[in-house]
Amino acid sequence: MRLPKFEYFAPKSLKEAVSILQNEPSAKILAGGTDLLVNMKHKVECPPAIVNIKGINDLDYIKQDNAAVRIGALTTLKHIYMTSLIQEKLPVLAEAASTVGSYHHQTMGTLAGNLCQQNRCKFFNQSQWWRSARPTCFKAGGQICHVVNKKEICYSSYCGDVAPALLALNAKILVTGHKDSREILLEDLFSGDGKAPLNLNPGEILAEIIIALEEMDGVSSYIKFANRESIDFPIVGTAFWASMENKEYRVAFTAADRKPLRAHQVEAFMNGKNLSENILDEASALAAKEAKPIKTSVYSTTYKRRLMGLLLKSTVSEAMRRAKS
Amino acid sequence: MEKELNVVGARLPMMDAAQKVKGTALFTDDLILPGMLFGKILRSPVPHAKILNIDTSRAEKLPGVKGVVTGRDIPDRKYGIVPMAKDEYALAKDKVRYIGDDVAAVCAIDPEIAEEAVELIKVDYEELPAVFDPLEAKREGAPEIHAGIKNNTSFAIRKEFGDVRKAFAECDAIFEDTFYSQPVNHAPLEPHAALAQFDPLNGELTIWSSTQIPFFLRRNLSNTLQIPESKVRVVKPKVGGGFGQKIDLYAKDFCAAWFAIQLGKPVKFVYEREEVFISTRQRHPMYITVKTGMKKDGIILAQKFQAHADGGAYNSTAPTMIALSCYFLMIPYRVPNLIYEGYHVYTNKPVGGAMRGHGIPQARFAVERQLDMIAERLGLDAAEVRIKNSIHAGEPHPAKFIINTCGFSDSVKKAADAIGWKEKRGKLPLGRGVGLAGASFPSGVSNMSHISSGAVVQLGRDGAVNVLSGAADIGQGAETVISQIVAEELGVPIEDIRITAADTGITPLDPGTFGSGVTVRAGNAARLAVISVKQKLFNFIADKLEANVADLVAKDRNIFVKGSPEKGMTLSEALKSYQYADLPMPIVGRGSWMAPATEPTTLFKEDGNFAPSYSFMTQAAEVDVDLHTGKVKLLRMVTAHDCGRAINPMLVEGQLEGSVVGGMGQALYEDVIVEKGQVMNPSFLDYGFPTFLEMPEIEAIEVETDDPIGPFGAKEAGEGTQLSPAPAIVNAIYDAIGVNFMELPITPEKILDALEEKKNRKNSRSDQCISHC
Amino acid sequence: MKQAIELNINGDTHEILVSPNNTLLEVLRDKLGLMGTKRGCDLGACGACTVLINGDAYLSCIMLAVDAIGKEILTIEGLDEGGDLHPLQRSFVENGGLQCGFCTPGMILTAKAILGEEKHPTEEVIKRKMAGNLCRCTGYKKIFEAVMSVTEQSGKEF
Repeated sequence: MRLPKFEYFAPKSLKEAVSILQNEPSAKILAGGTDLLVNMKHKVECPPAIVNIKGINDLDYIKQDNAAVRIGALTTLKHIYMTSLIQEKLPVLAEAASTVGSYHHQTMGTLAGNLCQQNRCKFFNQSQWWRSARPTCFKAGGQICHVVNKKEICYSSYCGDVAPALLALNAKILVTGHKDSREILLEDLFSGDGKAPLNLNPGEILAEIIIALEEMDGVSSYIKFANRESIDFPIVGTAFWASMENKEYRVAFTAADRKPLRAHQVEAFMNGKNLSENILDEASALAAKEAKPIKTSVYSTTYKRRLMGLLLKSTVSEAMRRAKS
Repeated sequence: MEKELNVVGARLPMMDAAQKVKGTALFTDDLILPGMLFGKILRSPVPHAKILNIDTSRAEKLPGVKGVVTGRDIPDRKYGIVPMAKDEYALAKDKVRYIGDDVAAVCAIDPEIAEEAVELIKVDYEELPAVFDPLEAKREGAPEIHAGIKNNTSFAIRKEFGDVRKAFAECDAIFEDTFYSQPVNHAPLEPHAALAQFDPLNGELTIWSSTQIPFFLRRNLSNTLQIPESKVRVVKPKVGGGFGQKIDLYAKDFCAAWFAIQLGKPVKFVYEREEVFISTRQRHPMYITVKTGMKKDGIILAQKFQAHADGGAYNSTAPTMIALSCYFLMIPYRVPNLIYEGYHVYTNKPVGGAMRGHGIPQARFAVERQLDMIAERLGLDAAEVRIKNSIHAGEPHPAKFIINTCGFSDSVKKAADAIGWKEKRGKLPLGRGVGLAGASFPSGVSNMSHISSGAVVQLGRDGAVNVLSGAADIGQGAETVISQIVAEELGVPIEDIRITAADTGITPLDPGTFGSGVTVRAGNAARLAVISVKQKLFNFIADKLEANVADLVAKDRNIFVKGSPEKGMTLSEALKSYQYADLPMPIVGRGSWMAPATEPTTLFKEDGNFAPSYSFMTQAAEVDVDLHTGKVKLLRMVTAHDCGRAINPMLVEGQLEGSVVGGMGQALYEDVIVEKGQVMNPSFLDYGFPTFLEMPEIEAIEVETDDPIGPFGAKEAGEGTQLSPAPAIVNAIYDAIGVNFMELPITPEKILDALEEKKNRKNSRSDQCISHC
Repeated sequence: MKQAIELNINGDTHEILVSPNNTLLEVLRDKLGLMGTKRGCDLGACGACTVLINGDAYLSCIMLAVDAIGKEILTIEGLDEGGDLHPLQRSFVENGGLQCGFCTPGMILTAKAILGEEKHPTEEVIKRKMAGNLCRCTGYKKIFEAVMSVTEQSGKEF
């Protein structure tokens, strides 16, 4: 399967990359390529230009200052989970990074690339010929959704593993644009619109991921549930973070909605409480209500809902176990 | 059993292993010919439609495009792997019958242009009503997929053995259950490919193809292209796995040949992974209803079996598949009275074909599951029931199978012991369980369509042994096994053997990798060829040694009188003196072998002994079911296999291990999911066959018997093992959580649903036993 | 537009004319004839096309050739030195860690990348990291044993 043709840029600095993107607003940014190039082979993404940012020198780092742990956009997933600081202090992130795709995807894939991956749908992630059996769907540029027969909305699901972990860590991101840089909550990166899942302006690049130091005082866990133990996208993934002394909790899900979902209602219910079995039962029921899984994969939505509750309990018990040890 | 074997029985690496680890082993897509062009197939995006018009003009005008072909251009010749079941054109002529059907092909100077060009072909379809389920397709009024095929039932078989009515009346208990087995894709790692070249002067077509049966491909190409078989040469390069999927001719073979002939340039076609999933073959999905009648002690008296195989759009191996599904109900268990009804039904879906086990895995799933359910209800031990009903060597068989050797009950005992049956069955904590299931498979097929195999062995002055065999090594190690047989018979180390295999222009006839018979057929042919070489050499040497020819043996590169190693000479000396005696060199031996046959049978029409021998096996599984997520982990699989004598135990183990993991895939992970005729998961990502992390602990136990027909006592080892891992696993799941699953695969979702249902209606499980007399 | 690039493959510099949309796999196979790198799925889901980029396991079917400029590319053809099989290659041969051989180059290169990261990985680590390389023939057992047996040999550097 051949890639469509495109113009290729390999900028050496963030500034240069941003200026290319200014001139080529439809260009796509290439980092690890494990998501973009597959979509391009399927011709669901055919950008006129590719901006390969891997040649930019200072975007691959994990560093800690007196306020935060900062991770460069191009840091590979493997580098993240093999770094002892992350393994020991931010296990939810290490776990999420280590469950992405296969070892190869973890070697090639970058943190920012993983966050910015395209939404997925069984009618979208298919070859051009395959898709020609049906009218073109919203996400591929058409006028219909094959999953839900409602106009104007693409219901494709966000399936990245790392986003829920970082949402549970309340991470921020640094977005660099033509004029200035802005720091926003990672949660605000995701639009919830399946067709255009990211709130990035043309010419903006996600440059850094920022995790506040106090997050390291909490306990955390990420559990992914998939058909196979490798390669696959999650059927559901769940991240959990807790500050035991403050009884403050954060919960996030992936593959359960059009964006990675920070489950605020679940958190509001849990916060301040001791996590007894009853409380967790109620939280699980709430979790299943807060997300809007749609049958964009071959797995049923009832099953996804059920898994959300189950995985929430499993992540909590794993985090508790860590708190004790 | 033959004693003191040197090369047979040795754990030797494959002869081409170094090429494979160095990346120099050449598969079809690795071959390059000067001036080569590249082809691409246009496939139907609709499940069922008349082709009204095909406009190829825009594709033809694209710079770099060298040719376009559609169904209307090609000879009016249908093909099919089974002669009586030909129903398919290389490119659709009048209508398309499934999403993925071959419609047209282009040929261009590079693959990128070819890809672009197929998209420029405009096809006008008149869509027809489509049907996606065999039970619906069989009803009156269902859309007709092939003209004149009533109820879309292209093959129906009804067989009765014994007196079933009488036998059922004598039963203490009768049970009836319905099962479903899903479509499974073979998913060989190497996508299908073909490269063709044509010589306009002598009119010879040469095609390199990822095929399991070069000689069948030759026949099918000759027939569809309307050129003599003698002008078609099929060369088999390395083949990256097949499992039955590379038996058939495909559009890539035909179109590569077509363009090579038309354009006078070499042409290569390579399928995308998606095409392998959608447009080749798959294991037939099957609905099965089994009624079994038993005596109180667990002895099977009668069975009634009804199978509906979803054939998809074409026949492929339909009659053979449905016949195998029937006859192999009467082995490994004694089923004296049987009614079998089998239907091969067309649907507008991907095409079913031979896959490792060929119609039998589906039947085994049903029977082996039901045996466990019955044993449970009658309070019998499931392993004991199997041993009790085991057939034995030498006993008469209702379908006239001749069982020379049978290690079945032994395999049950060994598998049960190794899994810890006595300590574990019914005794493990909730969520853990063990289960087992048995099976039998033909070891080589005797006499369908003249299945015989030839070999030539040449012994040169320097002692080099040159073997020509038509056997198709598709990764199982056939060339190595045949070489071991030759080396053993000739008394030389394997290093002295050079084998050329599977080139219809050079090597003798062979039915290829099919029906689990390569070792038996090609191995016997090669052995006969060596015996012929030895005869010539021994006749000469006997005089020199003043010994009887019959007393000579060849061993360790020496020829000597049996029992007196000092009375002999080296092979090198023997060859030297043979040459100096002005006898012609090289010494050439030929062998042709066909299984001893009484009556020719394809089984579909007549009973008879289908195979020269039969392998027997039992799989025993231990599973862990996660009660929260529903995920099943296969912890351990024991496979006890009566494969006669293992020519190469390392390769046999490899066959068993690979087969077990494939069977696990069928049980737990794999399903070709189709919605409205469209395959929803035509990729390695979404199809999801097992990875390293799903691999169970595997123990392979060889139950050796000494088969009188197989070379050095060998029987099949590659295929039978995939018959019963799925029921063994599902039986273990029952032991773990007390739920009887009737449909494959057993996904976590199904487990959770079942556990929930079980919780909701405790103790209200309906007893499916129809009558207790 | 095609452009001339230099790629460092198996220690040699190759000057090649490529389009930006050529994958590294296409360039290795179609332009350089390095056929040991296999095309199994072409969508990054089977590992048959694995090559090492600066020692790391990459899927060459979803990597642009132009992205490999300035990096050290190792394909299966560059693994054995001086005609001798690499210890991993030898181990695959001797342990029966292959059948059809189509996944084998990718398996061996992934194993090399793993052993390059840690000399004595646990069984679990090997399984986890090899899991992106699919095999339909062996059931993985003998491949696993082939890799384990190399890690068990002491003092070897990969």
